[in-house]
Order: sequence, then structure tokens, then C-alpha cells
Amino acid sequence: MIPLKKQYEADVAVIGGGIAGLMAAIAAADKGARVVLLDKANTKRSGAGATGNDHFLCWIPEKHGDISVVYNEFMDSQNATSNDTPLVMRFLETSPKIVNMWNDWGINMKPTGDFHFEGHAYPGRPRIFLKYDGHNQKKVLTEQAKKRGVQILNHAPVLEMFRNEEGVSGVLALDVSGDEPSFIMVHAKAVVAATGYVSRLFTTDPTPSQMFNTNMCPSGTGDSIAQAWRIGTYLVNMEKTYRHAGPRFLARCGKATWIGVYRYPDGRPVGPFITKPDVETGDMTSDVWSSAFTDLKLSGRGPAYMDCSGASREDLEHMRWAMKCEGLTALLDYMDKEGIDPGRHAVEFGQYEANLVTNGIEIDINGESNVRGLFAAGDMMGNISGDIGAAAVYGWIAGHHAADYQHLALDEGMPAQAGERMAFYSAIYERKTGASWQEANFALQQIMTEYADCGPHRVRSDTMLSAGIKYLGDLRRKMEKELYASDAHELMRAAEVINLLDLGQALMVSARERKESRGRHIRSDYTFTNPLLRDKFLRVWQENGEVKMAWRDRLI
Amino acid sequence: MPPVINTEACLGCGICADVCPLQVFRHNKVTDKVPEVKRPYECWHCNACVLDCPAHAIELRLPLTHMLLYVDADTLKPRDLPAR
Repeated sequence: MIPLKKQYEADVAVIGGGIAGLMAAIAAADKGARVVLLDKANTKRSGAGATGNDHFLCWIPEKHGDISVVYNEFMDSQNATSNDTPLVMRFLETSPKIVNMWNDWGINMKPTGDFHFEGHAYPGRPRIFLKYDGHNQKKVLTEQAKKRGVQILNHAPVLEMFRNEEGVSGVLALDVSGDEPSFIMVHAKAVVAATGYVSRLFTTDPTPSQMFNTNMCPSGTGDSIAQAWRIGTYLVNMEKTYRHAGPRFLARCGKATWIGVYRYPDGRPVGPFITKPDVETGDMTSDVWSSAFTDLKLSGRGPAYMDCSGASREDLEHMRWAMKCEGLTALLDYMDKEGIDPGRHAVEFGQYEANLVTNGIEIDINGESNVRGLFAAGDMMGNISGDIGAAAVYGWIAGHHAADYQHLALDEGMPAQAGERMAFYSAIYERKTGASWQEANFALQQIMTEYADCGPHRVRSDTMLSAGIKYLGDLRRKMEKELYASDAHELMRAAEVINLLDLGQALMVSARERKESRGRHIRSDYTFTNPLLRDKFLRVWQENGEVKMAWRDRLI
Repeated sequence: MPPVINTEACLGCGICADVCPLQVFRHNKVTDKVPEVKRPYECWHCNACVLDCPAHAIELRLPLTHMLLYVDADTLKPRDLPAR
């Protein structure tokens, strides 16, 4: 048996030290809570914001005037279909406070001297993304958390959450700081789940042989969504998978940092918005026509290029600076080494594989789930999108409310399920041969991509999804028998695949239930978009080992 | 593959192994000065190691599979196709 070496007691345990997790930890500690934060890697460089960001969705009253200006623009964006309006309003109302806080802490929110909004914008319409310099954001937030006495456990991925009759009661983690694994138990009165964006569920689109070439960090595998699912937490909007786009073949987010025009090979602009590079708006074409790159390729009219030539030297320098703020220094280094100059060269763009973002834990206005004391924040919130801005703001909101549980008594006993779960993970480590995590992950990706992929140009159906659900069950049984890990790192990866499998199941049952085509969810057996389902969210959860589902109205 | 450490310049501090989000490196401070690039296929090319190395001793090498596809921008124009 892998030994249990450390135990902690906390008012609030935070899972994941990305933007949302660190903000939750900071807010909870500000209210006097004892906070333990666990991160799979190191909070200084983990998560989607590891090396930076350059645009932050927010409302700044002196720039926008009424909040409805930002709300309306935001709700026009691709993922806004998963947004409950009261949560969006709370996010936007709280955003000026968080932006100013960050600025005071040393994250430069006014790199041009004042609040300035640019990118992801339509010509002539209001702009809602604050241009900022986030290159140091993770270090600043880590320092702020430490200053408040937050105990940060790095290299400690969480394996399971536990609940008792009252609500959430703690988490089990793995110490992966060395080759030998050991368990860590954190008894907690409240838990904030913040493990971010989900990659590695579908076969990597640009490079099928390179599983880790994903647009967001491939260490994001939705761990705490799956852990929450296992203890009966409501998940929502799981069928609304997302596909990002960006340069090929190096998969990377940050397309809005590029200032150029998307063009056909004959030079015509792909979209109607701009005809020459524009620092202030960027080219919204790929935000609006999300299937553009794939459409162009499959119709033979592609490929599509991002063309920044024709921009002034000053604007090209601005883009280069913004790419550093966004954390795209690896891309810049590579382009420099290869002699790729955006002023002269057009770079091919394409779509990436499906991911989960704004598909996950359903939260209320305070960030709390249906399990008492279990909160969620960041890209894994199921009913509000908003990228870095929403992660920062809702992280803070969730931590603030999670701290209210500090006045309850702590359940210090070992959770009832802890022994069984420790034995489960120990068995993977004690097995001498079997299936590696890579093998299991590729097998899962094959099933997901073949039976549950989303559009464009890929369809789902009742028969395909039913088959996929059956095959996932088969894979699960095989994995339970055969998965093996030779060190702590591999055991962490094996646990990630187990989590991804749970998310795949939740996704497939949800996709089967949504009997219409909507956005990227394209059903060959229900080809139309049903207006009656427009503002309907599908909630899924597990109860006594069975999957339950219920429709609810989007909160307006 | 992925991070390439200049072993001459490396101070053996292990910061790269500590900050890497993917545990690409393995560093046994007792036995090894220079961290081992143990899991190159798990590198995301995020540049954290490059940015945080105090000796500037790390460079990333992008695998051929990750090459950026690009053309001279002035070739984006109608092609002269033979008249039918």
C-alpha cells in the first residue's frame, strides 16, 4: 500500500493553483480562513495562465458606462450560450474591484498608462477585453497567497474528494515530488475546485502523434470535475464541447493577440470585418465563424492564413510585446530562430480538437455547487464562461464564500471511502505490468473522437453515442484491471486518464440526451435546432452509481 | 527533444524541474548536477524553464511535428491559372 505520509486540517482546501485557485485562496485567507492549496505542479507556473495573458474580460465603469454595454457584447460571444445571466452580472459587477486589486499587486493592468480595451472586437462596437501585461501574474498571485499564510502544496495532485452526510469533507492527494508516491490527506470544511480547462480527451487534431501538443496546457485534465462527479455533484452543459483555433502545427491559444487578417490563399479576406491588420479589433472572423478554418480546408478553398503584413512597424512591435504579455514567448523564440517574420510571412491557422471549457460543475451565484461546501471556479465552471477574467473574479467570489464555513466543526475522521480509494490507486502502482497511462489515454481519445466528436463536419447520433458509452464502459473495466504505473509521476497521469474517462462518460450521456443540433453539437438524427431547447441547460449527476439527468431553464 | 540544457552553463539549482508544469525533468539533487530531460514527449513548450533558468542555460527545440506552416505574404494573390 502506498503510505499516507501527511495529513492537514484546513478551513478551505483549494484544488489547483491556477488563476481561479490562487484568487480563491487569497479571498478565503483574507477572511481569516486556514487555507491549504494543492497544485499538480508549481503555482508559479501552472495552469492556463502559466506564462501570461494579455486580455481580461471586465467592466470598467469609467470606460464603458453602463454595465449592459459589456454584458451585451459578452453574450454575443461563442461560449455565452452556457451563461446564467445572474452569474455574468455578478462577475462583471465584481470585475473592477479585482482589476484594481491586481494592478495594486503589481500585475500591470494599465500597460499603456490607462485602462485600454482591444482585440476580440468588432469594428465600431464596444470593446470588452482589457489589454494587460500578465507575464508575471502567477508569481504575483503566488506571493499574495503566501503573504496571507496560504499553505501551498506543490507537486500534489488531488486524487479524490470526499463527502459526509453534511457536505464535502476533504481531499486525498498524491505526493509526486519524488519517484516514490505517498498520499496526503487534507481534512477541510470547504473545498474550492479549480482545475481548469480540459485537454487530452480527444485525439490531438494538428498532431495525432503528439498528445501533449494542445492549445491549453495538457496537464489540465478536468480532475476536480471528475472527482466532483464521483461524489454526486451536478455537472452542466457537458455536451457543448468547444474547439479552439490557432497556428498550425504548434497548437496554442492567443489568436486574438495576432493583429492580422485571415486570408484565403488568393489574398481575399476570409471574413467581412477587416481588410488590413488592426491592432484595436483584430479579426473577429474566427470568433464568429468558428468552423471557418475547417470549412476552408475541407472545401479545398484553404488553407486559411493569418496575415499581419501591411501592419506598421509600430503595430508589429506592439503585437510582439502583447505576445510576451500573453505568455507566447516559446512561439516568438521559435519564429525568431526560423526567421518567420509576421511582417512578411503569413502563418497558417487551423482548428484544434474538442476540449471542455465552460462544461463542468454547476455553481450558484456564490460559486457553490449542490454539494454543501464544494465550490468551483475557473474554466471548469459549467454555467459561466469568461476566460481569465471570470476565473480571477469567480475564484475570488468562491473563496470569499467558502471561508464562511470556517465556523463549522471540522470532520477529523478518515472519510469512509478513503481506504477503498487508497487501495485502488495503490493497486495501480503495485501492478508490475499492464497498460501504461499513455496507452489508456490514446484508447480513450480514440473512442471519444470516433463516437462523440463535435462539429464542424462531424456528427453525433443516438446509435453512435450509445455505442461509445458501451465502449467507454469496456475500457473502464480494462483500465481498472490493467493500468499500471512505475513511479509517482505515472500514477498521477494514470489518475488523470481515469478522470478523463469519467468526463467522457458525462459528455456522451449529455450529448445523447440533447436531441437537436446546436452550434458544434451536430446530430445526424436531429439535424434541426429546436427553439424550445435554446435556453435549456442539461444537468447530469450520479446517484447510487446511476447517471441521472434533468433539464433546467437558463437563469435570465 | 524539447528542453535542451547547456550542461556547461547549468548551475544545478533544479528550478526548471520545480516549475515545469508537466514534470518533463527529473532532478535528483544528491546524485546529479544537471536535471535529466526524462519525459520529452510531455513537454508543452510553454517556456517556463527557459524563462526561469537563472543561468539562461535552457533552450527549447520544437519537434518537426510542431513546425509552423507559413508562406511569404506576398504570394497570397490569385494564381494565374491556364485559360480553359
